[in-house]
This record gives sequence, C-alpha cells and structure tokens, in this order.
Amino acid sequence: MIGLWNYLIVGALVFVIGVLGIFLNRKNVIIIMMSIELILLSVSINFVTFSAFLGDLFGQVFVMFVLTVAAAESAIGLAILMVYFRNRGSIAVEDVNTMKG
Amino acid sequence: MIAAIPEFGIALPEIVFAGLALVLLMIGTFGKERSMGLVTALSAASCLVAILLVLLMDTATATSFEGLFIVDKFAGYMKVLVLLGSGLSIVMSAGYLQREKLQRPEFPVLILLATVGMMLMISANDIISLYVGLELQSLALYVLASFHRDTIRSAEAGLKYFVLGALASGVLLYGATLVYGFTGTTSFEKLAALHPAEGVQTVGLWVGMALVASGLIFKVSAVPFHMWTPDVYEGAPTPVTAMFAVAPKIAAVALLVRLLMGAFAPLVHQWQVAILAISIMSMAWGGYAAIVQRNIKRLMAYSSIANVGYILLGLAAGTERGVESVLVYLAIYLFMTAGAFAVILTMRRDGQMVEYLSDLAGLSHSRPLLALAMTVFMFSLGGIPPLAGFIGKLYVFQAALEAGNHAATAGMANAFYIAAGLGATISVVSMFYYLWIIKIIYMDPPAAPLDRPAGAGLSGVVLVTTLFTLLFSLTFVVGPVVGWADAAAQSLTH
Amino acid sequence: MLESLAVFPPLAAAVIVGLFGRRSLGDRASQLITCGGVLLSAAVAIWLFVTVALGHNPHTVHLFHWFGSGTLQVDWALRLDTLSVVMIGVVTVVSSMVHVYSVGYMAHDRDIPRFMAYLSLFTFMMLALVTADNFVQMFFGWEGVGLASYLLIGFWYEKPSASAAAIKAFVVNRVGDFGFSLGIMAVYFIFDTVQFDPVFAAAGSKVGMHFTFLGTQADMLATCCLLLFVGAMGKSAQLGLHTWLPDAMEGPTPVSALIHAATMVTAGVFMLARCSPLFEQSPLALEVVTIVGALTAFVAATIGLTQFDIKRVIAYSTMSQLGYMFFAIGVSAYSAAIFHLMTHAFFKALLFLGAGSVIHALSGEQDMRKMGGLFKVIPKTGILMWIGSLALAGIGIPGVFGFAGFYSKDMILEAAYQGGAVGQLAYWLGIAAAFFTAFYSWRLIIMTFYGSPRADHHTMEHAHESPPVMLLPLTVLAAGALFAGWLGYDHFVGEARGEFWGASIYVAPGHDTIEAAHKGPEWIGILPLVVGLLGIFLAYVFYILKPTWPAAWATSLSGLYQLIYRKYYFDELYDAIFVRPAFALGRIFWKRVDVGIIDAFGPDGIATATRSASAGFSRLQSGYLFHYALAMLVGVLVLTTFYLILGGV
Repeated sequence: MIGLWNYLIVGALVFVIGVLGIFLNRKNVIIIMMSIELILLSVSINFVTFSAFLGDLFGQVFVMFVLTVAAAESAIGLAILMVYFRNRGSIAVEDVNTMKG
Repeated sequence: MIAAIPEFGIALPEIVFAGLALVLLMIGTFGKERSMGLVTALSAASCLVAILLVLLMDTATATSFEGLFIVDKFAGYMKVLVLLGSGLSIVMSAGYLQREKLQRPEFPVLILLATVGMMLMISANDIISLYVGLELQSLALYVLASFHRDTIRSAEAGLKYFVLGALASGVLLYGATLVYGFTGTTSFEKLAALHPAEGVQTVGLWVGMALVASGLIFKVSAVPFHMWTPDVYEGAPTPVTAMFAVAPKIAAVALLVRLLMGAFAPLVHQWQVAILAISIMSMAWGGYAAIVQRNIKRLMAYSSIANVGYILLGLAAGTERGVESVLVYLAIYLFMTAGAFAVILTMRRDGQMVEYLSDLAGLSHSRPLLALAMTVFMFSLGGIPPLAGFIGKLYVFQAALEAGNHAATAGMANAFYIAAGLGATISVVSMFYYLWIIKIIYMDPPAAPLDRPAGAGLSGVVLVTTLFTLLFSLTFVVGPVVGWADAAAQSLTH
Repeated sequence: MLESLAVFPPLAAAVIVGLFGRRSLGDRASQLITCGGVLLSAAVAIWLFVTVALGHNPHTVHLFHWFGSGTLQVDWALRLDTLSVVMIGVVTVVSSMVHVYSVGYMAHDRDIPRFMAYLSLFTFMMLALVTADNFVQMFFGWEGVGLASYLLIGFWYEKPSASAAAIKAFVVNRVGDFGFSLGIMAVYFIFDTVQFDPVFAAAGSKVGMHFTFLGTQADMLATCCLLLFVGAMGKSAQLGLHTWLPDAMEGPTPVSALIHAATMVTAGVFMLARCSPLFEQSPLALEVVTIVGALTAFVAATIGLTQFDIKRVIAYSTMSQLGYMFFAIGVSAYSAAIFHLMTHAFFKALLFLGAGSVIHALSGEQDMRKMGGLFKVIPKTGILMWIGSLALAGIGIPGVFGFAGFYSKDMILEAAYQGGAVGQLAYWLGIAAAFFTAFYSWRLIIMTFYGSPRADHHTMEHAHESPPVMLLPLTVLAAGALFAGWLGYDHFVGEARGEFWGASIYVAPGHDTIEAAHKGPEWIGILPLVVGLLGIFLAYVFYILKPTWPAAWATSLSGLYQLIYRKYYFDELYDAIFVRPAFALGRIFWKRVDVGIIDAFGPDGIATATRSASAGFSRLQSGYLFHYALAMLVGVLVLTTFYLILGGV
C-alpha cells in the first residue's frame, strides 16, 4: 500500500534534487532552469498528495496556479538567459560573476 | 457548488490600476518610442489615481474573493507607501531612460504591473493570493532588472535575481505545502484561528511557516537571503535600483508582517526568536559590509540590508507597538532612500552615469544644494537627530525594549535588550560610511563637475524627500504619520 | 509687546550681522544695524524705566513656554520690576555707548562685523539674564554672557595671550557656573520649582530646615545661598575667582568697558540682589558675602597701587568696586549695591573708554611708564578721565553736589557701619580701599597726563585726539558720571526708596541698614571723603613733588611690594595647585592611558577589527550564483533544524 509518507518522500527527494541542482551545478544555467522546474514539480506533488489525503480540493487548485506561474517564470527566465548570452557569449554558471564584493 | 459573485468593490484600486496598466501597455505597444513621454506621464498619474482611490475607500476591514483578499487600514497605509515609491521611481526614471536610449514604453508599464503585484501582496489573505501577488511582482522585477539589455551587468543582475528569486519561490511554495498538509488550510484567517490543541504545535507547521517566511525574507533581502541584493542593485539600471530599494521591499515587509502577525500569530513565540536572529544578522552584515564599498549603489544595497534589520527588529517585538514602529520606519525609509537615489541619479559626467563614491568629490562646490540634500539623507540614514531616520530608529528600539520588558522568559528579554544594544552599536558603525560620503562631498579635492541640469522631475523628488526627511520630527509631520501607522497597526492586531 | 523691544533687537542685530555681515552687508551696514539695535533697546529701556520704576508698574510679560518635565516647568518671560528695569537701563545705555565708540575704535580692524555681532550678542545675553523670571532662564543668560565674553576676549585670536585670556575667563567662570548650577538644583530640590515668585514666597518657610549630605547636616537655605554666591563670585570676579578679570584686558578696550561696566561682572551683584528674599533668610550666607566682598575691595585696591598697565589699574579698581557692592549686599543694603552698580557703570565705562582713547592716541601703548604729558595733546580725553576719576574716588561737597561715586560709595560704607561686627570690619576695609582708590586713580592721571612725556618721539608726534564718534559716547557717560548719583540718590537709597523699589528687593525686618545709616553719626559719611582727598594729595606728593619716592618705597618695602605687584601670587598659586597637576595628569592619561591602552584596544583596535570584518563580509560576496544559493540553503537548513529541535524531533 502506497501511503502518504511515500508520496511526501518522493516530493522531498525531488525538491532536494532541485535545490542541489542549483548550487552543485557550475556549468550550465539551463540546468538551473530545469532544477527550478523540479522544485516546482515537487511542490505540486506535495500539494496533490495532501489534497488527496485531506479530501480537500484546495491543494489541487493551488497546483493550477503553480503550473501557470511556472510557465510564465520559465519564459521570462529563458528570455533573460538569452539576453545574458548575447552579452557574455557564455552561459556557464561560473562566468556569471562580473559583480561581487 | 457555485460561489456567489465576489464583492469586487473592495479591490477597486487594484482593478482600476491593473486596467490602466493594460491600457498603457496597449498605448506603448502601438505607439512605440513616440508614446514614451505620454506613457510615463500617465503611469505616474495612474499611481496618483490609485493612491486617491485607496485613500477614498472605506477603510473598515473587509474580505472578498472567498476570503483571499482583504482590505483594512494596514493595507491602505502600505498601498499608499508602495504607490508613492513606484510613482517616485517612474518620475525619477524619465530622464535616465531618455539619456540611455532606453525609451521603451514597457518600462513604466512593467513598474505598474509589479506594483499591482505588490498591492495584491499587501491585500493577500491566503497563501495562494500571497503567491500570485508575489510572482506577479517578481516576474515584472526580473525583467526590469535586466532592462538595460545591452550591458552585461544589467543582464547578469537579471539572471541572478531570477535564479535566486525562483529558488526562494520554490522554498516558499514547499513551505506552503507543509502548512497546507499539517493544517488543511492556507487561509490566514483559519490559520490564525487554529486552537493550540488542534495541531498548531506540530513541528511540520513550524517548518512550513519557516520556509514560507524564508521566501519572503528573500524578498526583503535580510541575511542570509540577501546575497542577491548588492549585485542586483549594482547591475540593474539605477532607476530600477531605486525602485527595488523601496516599493518591493515595503510590499514584502507588509506581507511578512501580515503573515506573522496575522496567520501565524498563535506561533509568535516560535517565530520571534528566528526573526530576532535574522534582524541582528542583517543589521550587522549590512552595517559592516558597507564599509569597504566604493560603488554607491552597492553601498546603498548594504545600507538597505541594515535598514531591513532594523525593521525586522520592530517586527520581532510581535506587539502592536512593534508593528507601528515598522510602519513608521517604512514611511521614513521610503522617503530617505528615494531621495538618496534621486541624488545618485543626478550623478552624470559627460552624459555617462557615474556611480563611485569618489565621483561625489567636490559636489559641495559644483552643486551646493544637491550636496546639502545628500548630507541630509546620509545623516538621516545614519540616525542623527532630529532627522527622520533617527525617529524611525527610536520607534524601533523602543518597541524592542518594550517587548523585552514584557517577554515571557528572561532569555528572550535579554535577547531583545542585546538586539537593541547591537542595533545602536551598529548604527554607530554605519555612521562611518555615511559620514565618509559627506566627507567626500565637502572635503575631498573636487572631481570634474557633474552634468547639469538634473531635470525637473528629479529635482522635485530631491526637494520633496529632503523636506520630509528634514522636517519629519516637527509635530505636524510626525503626528499624522504616527497616528495613521497606529491605526493601521491596530487594524492588524485586533 | 513693546517690552520685547528692550531685549530682542540686539539679538536680531547679532544674528543678522553675524550671518551676513562679512559677506553681504559690509562694515558700515553692520555697524549701523548693531548700533541701531542697541540704541532702540536703550530707548525702550528708558521708557520702561519711566513707566515701571518711576510709574510703579512692575509686571511680567510671558513670551512662551520653554520646556517642561514633570514639576519642572520653565517659561520664557520678561520680568519687569524696578530691579530689572534699572539693570536693563544700565546695560543698554552703556552698551549702546560702547557700540558707538567701537565704530571709531575698531575702525581699522579687518573683522568689524564679527566684533559688532559679538557685542550685540553679549548685550542680548545680559538682557536675557536680567529679565529672567526663573533660575533656568537666568542660567541661560548667565552662560550666554560667559560665551560672548569668551568670544570677545579672544577676539584677536591670532594673539596667543588673547586666546589664553579667553580660555582663562571661560574656565574660571565655569567654576562659578558650576556653583550656580548646583545652586539652581538646590533651589529646585528645596522648592520644587525654579520660578522666582513661588521660590521667594516660600523662602521664609524653609528657615532652619536641614538636609543630610555625606553624613553631615547642612542648613538648606545657607547651602543654597552659598552655592548661588559661588556662581556670583565667578561672574563678578570676587577674591578667589577673580584671576580672569585682569587678563580679560587682552580683548579690545570696548570689550573691557562692556565687561567691567555693564554686561558681565554686574551679573553676580544683580543675581544676589534678585535673590534677596533667599539671602535675607540666611544670616550665615550674608556674613560670608560681606567678608568676601570686603576682602575683595581691599585686596584689589592694593594691587591697583602697583600696576603699570593703564587698563589693569582700572581692572583692579573694578574688582575693588565690585567688592563694595558685595559687602553692601552682605549687610542687606541691596539698593545701595544696585545704586553703586549703576553709578559705577557710568564712570567705569567712561574710564575704560577714556583709557582706550589714550591707547588709541598712543597707537596701542598701554604701559603708563611710557606715557606722561599727554594733557596738552589730548585735553578732551584728559578732562573726561578727570571726571571719571573724581567719580570713582567719590569726591563731592556734602549737602551740595558730588560726583556719582560720592553718593553711592558713601551710602555703602555708611550702611556697612550699621551692619554689626562683620559690617564694621567691612567698613574699615572699605575706608582703606577708598584711600587706595583715590591714590591709584591720581597715580594714573598723573602718570598719563602730566609730567614730561616718556613716550618716544615718534609716538608723541602721532598722538592725536580721538574722533568725535569716540568722544561723543564718552561725553554721554561723563554726564552720567557727573549726575547719576545726584539724580538717583533720592530714589535709590533716599527717602523715596521704599516706593521706588517696591517688591523687587526684600529686606528682612531689622536688617534695614540704610535706614540706620541715615540716622548714623556724621563722621561715618565724611571719613571716606577725607581719605579720598588724602589719597589724591599723597598721589600728588609721590608723583609730582617727590618723583623719586615711589621707587624708593618700592625698594625699601620690596617684600610687600613684590607680594602686591605679583597680585598676591594668586596666578602662581593656582598654576601650581590646579593647572600644572591637571596638565600632568592630562598628559599621563593622554600618553599612557589613552594612546597606550584605550586607543590600542578601543578606537584603533575596534576600527581595525571593523575593517577586517567588513573585508570578510565583502569576500563572502563572491559573485557566484551557487554560493549565494548555498547561503540561502544554509539559512533554510538552520531554520528548519532550529524548529525540529524546538519541536523535540
């Protein structure tokens, strides 16, 4: 029997993978974009799980919002990445440090 | 189940404002660069219209949209501040955009859209409206940060802000799932009404609350979620930085206050400690790291981090007085920061923006009035009486000490006393770089003079903010502000 | 509120000229504005004198509430009774003369606006002091006078001696001010208010009350009065706190005239007279005042015998005359003290400004040994100085007419004789001082104006009479020195005095020494005149008939002479007891403690630590996205862990 905890652990794992992807990866900003999507996915898993187990629809409504926002966010993120690439000629995470201190 | 048609009336300012933003977007899209002046003027006017609407609206507490949206005195106060901040930023940006060949009408429209998001945040009464408002604001701000798209620094600022902002949103959302999962609701009212026996004391809820708060603390740029701030402030176009420093911060503080003082009021003893710690770290980090800065925008970034530390100290008090002190501080912070950025925006030499402290050398000779205004802002930020900044700090420290006097445990009381003492110490440390700037302005051998003229909009902003900062402690200025803040704080805590 | 016009025009003038004088107004306009300000004040002051003092209409004008804290409520008011309008009159009239005189005297200075602004500020502060309705406002004026005198004495700040004198005046005055402020605190402690009226009304009920301090019992009123008296000693240069007054000569001569005649040293006398209801309840305090005053009068007069600097001689004579005023107060003859204050203001200002005229004529020479024979060159100044000296020596024909000092000084001495044993001691010391006064006054006159010229040829050639703008004020003051005593006698100390003073001065029953003096034996009043004439005659003998005598006497009595010439070694004593140890201690604290310990660990250490902390924070800001994300994650982890631990998981 697959219980609440199983779902939550999957959600947590996906979340951790996403977070680790953001700061362990030093090569490509695209991977960061994917990691962000993973985080949002983990959130959706959690919401749906809770929604199902609580018998409350609100969590699923929330997921709709998250998905919508995630789409917009990706679009804007990629647009900014394009702008950055045009200026820098690279999208390596290590190169993103003209400003510091 | 069919829900009743929601009461749209209480969201009238937001609806009108959003509508205006969309109309202006159309005008801008079809008018291209020719419509720039018109769109800018109308955007500023829209802020004014929205302020008027907010002021004219019934201020009694009311909710609508299935309890997702709330209007009260607190929301009214915060919205006026946010709209003022946005309006000032739009006015200040006009000249800059013209000179930098950035005359794209999206700019003011994006500010308007971000402002709609902020207004939603302020009126959010549920995690879902919190999230939507926050994202509407953030998405617009990501674009604004990289608005100067032909410079690498602006693009990098946008990228950093975006990635970290998205991460913060993710953390916030994950926290939201925990809150939802452990309580079965995301409504602030229902969360606030949770009885201690009904699972408020579960660790899951606490962690959820911590994660949601973390997402917001990112937006107010408090330690340790502040790392994006200096880079983004430096890289973003200066009017955008001016905006970042003011409006979104106010909105995020408003949301944080409503969340912690409203939804998580039953958990006050849990979050107080964390907020206090974050406050101390922010004051310290902002105060210390600013000392070695040479870029004035970066310096202002650290200064804003320190200021957020003081604001959070007021919030940590967890009392009505604490909220009142936060509100007063925000109003003061709005004016002195906007003023300082207006001065920074006048720093042009041979048509180029300059942003190093050394570029201010000799300002007292070439532009004595501007130098005087900057001196007023720096003294105020440093907390020299009787300028506005001093009053703000006074309120916050008083609230913290009072909270210490009424703290549940001796340890907590001491924590408040120590925090207030540290705050005072750090404000002395921070005097160092504020005075340093004044020293550069008045005593260093003059650099080449800055370009003139500053532009009418900018001069007006400098004048108004200087007067406010200078005269704040006069009864007829401080009285109404504090009175309003008091009423706003009451509407939130009762 | 016409009354305000007596007080505030000098302030307005000082502010305007101080802010804009140098840049936009220029010298001439600055002089016009400041002179206009004080002249306006003087006109209003005379009107006030007529309506308030002569018309018997004392009243208080409330201007505004200054500050409040609990029972400590302080208003800003103009208290206009006979005492204060007399003071306002003296201050504004003398000050306006000094202002006008300064136009001529300072004509060649390059900082005229600053000087005029300071003068006006000085005048305003004194006016604020005398019109005070409470101790705190009085203290404001008190400190303001100290500040303005500091600025004026050190006006020629390039001159090290001027700066030193300014600092000395300020520091010595601080000692007195400290006493005064403690006195005010004592007043507040005892009476729970600082307003004059309630304090004075309640004074009688506090007699015999004690408070315990460091285990000893002290009489409340006596303590309070003595503390106030310490304040008065500082401002009025009484023995012990007098050392600043002669040095204050370093300022320009008009400043000396102002300090000595109107705006500074009289503050102490005024304050004691104002507090007469308090002092009347404390016989001990009155005795102390009498003794200090009498000693001051005597000691200062002896020092005056030996000095050679023309301004110093007059300075010591001021100190001596202030001694008279103090012991007059000590024997409850307040009205006589104020009477003498008033007449003294005229002739002392006259003498100082006359001396200034002499110095002006000799291009800055102040040493009397290098003067002589000047009467032929500057006859007008000479006549004016004669009048001033006659007034100072108190010469007159009893029952007919006398110079100003004749009436006031005699009144004081007669009253003192009636003041019990202490009073009689004061009387004899006063008689001796009167003799010395006459002697050194004519020593001054003779050394300056008669005999053969001792100045060098060049100086004598350029010696010239002062311009009318300087002589005119002198003439006005001379008129005062001539007639002030004669005109004022009846009102100030004569038959009409009760009505004249009204409630502004309180004399306890049985203390009325003036009443007793009027009925006293004849010879008491004649004796001062006799010793005065004797003094003049001796001076004539010493400096005209037998010019070798002074040097011979100085040699044969060299021990005594040196003691007096060196001003009783007060300066050396203070230097050894206070100044040197303080400097030595200061040096230890500075070199060893401050630089060695505190700076190393304190400011310097903290500054270094701050900088390295700052650099550390800055290094953490690496610019890398993943570092920033890591910081956020650490934050989240710490928060989560905190709550997990808090929840006991």
